[in-house]
Amino acid sequence: MIHRLLDTVWGQATALMYPIKRRRWVDLLVLLAGCAILYGLVVMGRQWTGQHRPMVEIDLSPLALPKYTFFSMMRGLAAYICSLAFTLVYAFWAAKDRRAEKLLIPLLDILQSIPVLGFMPGLVLALVAMFPHSNLGLELAAVVMIFTGQAWNMTFSLYHSLKSVPQDMQESATVYGFSWWQRFKWVELPYGTTGLVWNSMMSMAGGWFFLMITEAFKLGDKDFRLPGLGSYMSVAVEQGNVPAMVYAILAMVIMIVFLDQVLWRPVVVWAQRFRVEETSQAEAPRSWLLKLIRRSRLIRWLEARRAHLVRGVYPPMPLPAGRPERRMSPRLRGGRWVANVALAVLAALSVLSAFKLFGFLHTIPAMRWWDLLKAGGLTLSRVLISTLIGTLWAVPAGLAIGLSPRLSKILQPVVQVAASFPAPMLFPVVIAALATFGVGLNYGCILLMLLGTQWYILFNVIAGAMAIPGDLREAATSFRLSRWQRMKALYLPAIFPYLVTGWVTAAGGAWNASIVAEYAEIKGQVLSTWGLGSTVSAAAYHKDLPMLAAGVILMSTLVVVFNRLVWKPCYKLASTRYSLTK
Amino acid sequence: MADAPICELKAVQKSFDRGGGNTLRVLEDINLDIRPNEVLCLIGPSGCGKSTILRILAGLIDPTKGDVRYHGSKLDALNPGVSIVFQGFALYPWMTVEENVRTVLRAKGMPEEEVRSRADRAITLVGLEGFEEAYPRELSGGMKQRVGMARALSVDPEILFMDEPFSQVDALTAEGLRAEILDIWEDAERNPSSILMVSHDIKEVVYMADRIAVLSANPGRVRTIVDNSLPRPRDMRSPEFLRLVDQLHDIITSTELPDIQVSTVEPSLVPDMIEPLPNSQSTDILGLMEYLETQGGSSELFQVVAATHVPFEKVLASVKAAEMLDLVDTPKRMVLLTPLGTRFIRAGMEERKEIWKERLLDLKLFRVIRDMLEFHEGKLAREEVLAEIHSRLPMENPELTFETLVAWGRFGELFAYREERGVLTPE
Repeated sequence: MIHRLLDTVWGQATALMYPIKRRRWVDLLVLLAGCAILYGLVVMGRQWTGQHRPMVEIDLSPLALPKYTFFSMMRGLAAYICSLAFTLVYAFWAAKDRRAEKLLIPLLDILQSIPVLGFMPGLVLALVAMFPHSNLGLELAAVVMIFTGQAWNMTFSLYHSLKSVPQDMQESATVYGFSWWQRFKWVELPYGTTGLVWNSMMSMAGGWFFLMITEAFKLGDKDFRLPGLGSYMSVAVEQGNVPAMVYAILAMVIMIVFLDQVLWRPVVVWAQRFRVEETSQAEAPRSWLLKLIRRSRLIRWLEARRAHLVRGVYPPMPLPAGRPERRMSPRLRGGRWVANVALAVLAALSVLSAFKLFGFLHTIPAMRWWDLLKAGGLTLSRVLISTLIGTLWAVPAGLAIGLSPRLSKILQPVVQVAASFPAPMLFPVVIAALATFGVGLNYGCILLMLLGTQWYILFNVIAGAMAIPGDLREAATSFRLSRWQRMKALYLPAIFPYLVTGWVTAAGGAWNASIVAEYAEIKGQVLSTWGLGSTVSAAAYHKDLPMLAAGVILMSTLVVVFNRLVWKPCYKLASTRYSLTK
Repeated sequence: MADAPICELKAVQKSFDRGGGNTLRVLEDINLDIRPNEVLCLIGPSGCGKSTILRILAGLIDPTKGDVRYHGSKLDALNPGVSIVFQGFALYPWMTVEENVRTVLRAKGMPEEEVRSRADRAITLVGLEGFEEAYPRELSGGMKQRVGMARALSVDPEILFMDEPFSQVDALTAEGLRAEILDIWEDAERNPSSILMVSHDIKEVVYMADRIAVLSANPGRVRTIVDNSLPRPRDMRSPEFLRLVDQLHDIITSTELPDIQVSTVEPSLVPDMIEPLPNSQSTDILGLMEYLETQGGSSELFQVVAATHVPFEKVLASVKAAEMLDLVDTPKRMVLLTPLGTRFIRAGMEERKEIWKERLLDLKLFRVIRDMLEFHEGKLAREEVLAEIHSRLPMENPELTFETLVAWGRFGELFAYREERGVLTPE
């Protein structure tokens, strides 16, 4: 009798103890991570507000690397937070305000095609002049540069989602009287989340490209380098310290993998619930970290607390008994005039900058324009050749990987890391290697462009190959199509839409890369080859503002014209003739 | 008081702007009222604007002309007494069942305790207990529509609007849901007082409705309103029930397939008018004729619907199409193969195409297109055809007509069409 009583009591007690025991270490981890972030922010703050030095002091010992990696990562994250905030405001505004939309969307299109690297020198000088006594200006410049590499595609993605919310979801929100804010947080933002998450990952990867360049930035004899991975690498190259170069590259890879595991993987898994399509995926993505966090009692407690607080802060509104509710697209009534003023300011700014630019361009003689145009043609052909070379090897490789489940499982994460890896970090090493083989920058810069952009093509081809329906492949097998016939009849058409996306991303990246690839500074020596990218770089170096403006505008124009004339028809073809979903 | 309508439409007309200065008239002179304690159903062929009527009554869209009234006063905003059950469910896939229901209550600004208790009550009412934590993608169509019903009922609406609520639910489940929604409605103490349902299923309408508004298309008009006083609960197999179903069938058929073609009576008055094409694919028409052939050459229209499990509207479109091509004849409710139709269905593919082509060229629209093709030297742009269709058939949706035109023309090898280039060329 006693025995049984003890057993039940003890049994229940252990049952109670069990989950606590198992989960305590998770909570401990969460606490530790919180402390680490706090400490990191303090260190970061000290660096940002610290005394500005004329020269960056980089400690090449591997022990100092974690600190530099952390600095680089925090700059990337800070820029991402800015990009996200910008995206939410700008996309919402453009989607909801018909009048503003007419200005905002073309503006975004222009911003997206401007090679922002051209503006870096000006931006750095201006911000440093604004904060002469601290590092703040330089740090801000880095964040702004990364922001310009991140924000636009995120904004476009959210804008398109907001515009394409299914009609019945909109109608039900209207019928049940959602306010604009409720509609945004319950309907529109969730609908756009999947696209936003994917574009965030892409943006973050693109951001490292700009980060590496800004961190290692020097203008003439002035040193604007910031303590971080980019400057570590550049100092290591200057001193010819090979082990340090290897450490830096390793640290970059580790940071990319770390962010993938700790930030993006959990976010992707969490965002699964925002999927709209009904079909269940063959294999849902998984995240060990999210599983862990969901187990944490600390986090659950915090969440409950937050929910409680939110409800406390906003007292329930009185019931609108029988009052006819406002119809369709509820607007921010109070915010109406704020939006109008903002729109007016933006329009004025656009006109003003256009005016200013025109003034600059006026001073350039016609002959120089002709030279610029030829340089543009040369760089365009480099961009296209690099895209072509990338396609030539990435299509067969991507098909081989994507069609084999075993290979794609192993290699896809590797390709993802490679695509996120900022190529400019490797530029000095590659240029040095090319020099020893006697290859000049004229052809060498094609290789440099390729270094960064080929992964986008490969990545997309793999995705396309994996999406080829099984029955089409089976049909090809059953009809005994030869390898080449299969390529022509099935594989190439099926991956074409993905290939176009890869091309557009790769070509865009190559244009940006041309600015740093055609004009490189190695060990205090300027190496350059003729082209539009080097013209822009040289103009920035010599502070020749009219030339800089002309070069940047010409490059933007080339990008836009090429988009309209080549990529857009490709997209159209991909979505009509080569679409597998319709 | 008892007879004062909750909601009314007075002389409502609705046109949609199709861009480029073209407008499409969808509704013409609609007068309709929803009375307390009734189930009103709207039925009619596709394109008759039944869903548009529902949306105008709900205040989701404005009529181009005419008034919407709610309890006698003019309404120019959302209808406060209405909630809607949508055809495609319109659930938020990122919210659980419970959150989907609670969200609309929170939007009303209710205190959290009331939100919870009301949501629980609504979920219980439609039999969803146990599924509170499920996401919509885990549920079957019938269960999803239960969530849609719970959400609509939770806000305690005076009128429940249902837009083809069971068309994406399997037949057996739909039967259960219909009975349940009537049970909920029959509780006179509670809302909803009335139900407005849009449907294309005649049996469903006879089972549910007190009054049935039959609409005709292009533009949508109210043909007639049929009272249904069969006692509830209704037995779908009782002779009275079947008689009413037949009567409705007759009304719809006579509006859609009049025995005397209007255009042949006064051909001189409208010389340039051409008959609109029913939106039916050639395979559907062939299928219909094959079926008739197995039935000895003739069948009753509703027999076809029942035997083939093809929706009524679709069968109707195919019959209209075949009749235009002189392949079938439709005295009253019968569909029978004409001698040409019999020859057609017994012929091989070559001869079938010959007959088809010949019949097409008997239609004015196809002759016009053939002449245009000739005039443009064998290259006719889609836009030109669309403009032509719009000017000659102002009440029709030009894109849809163009689609049908291409499908028929391709089958008759009258012309070829390449979608990417948007150009018609002679075969």
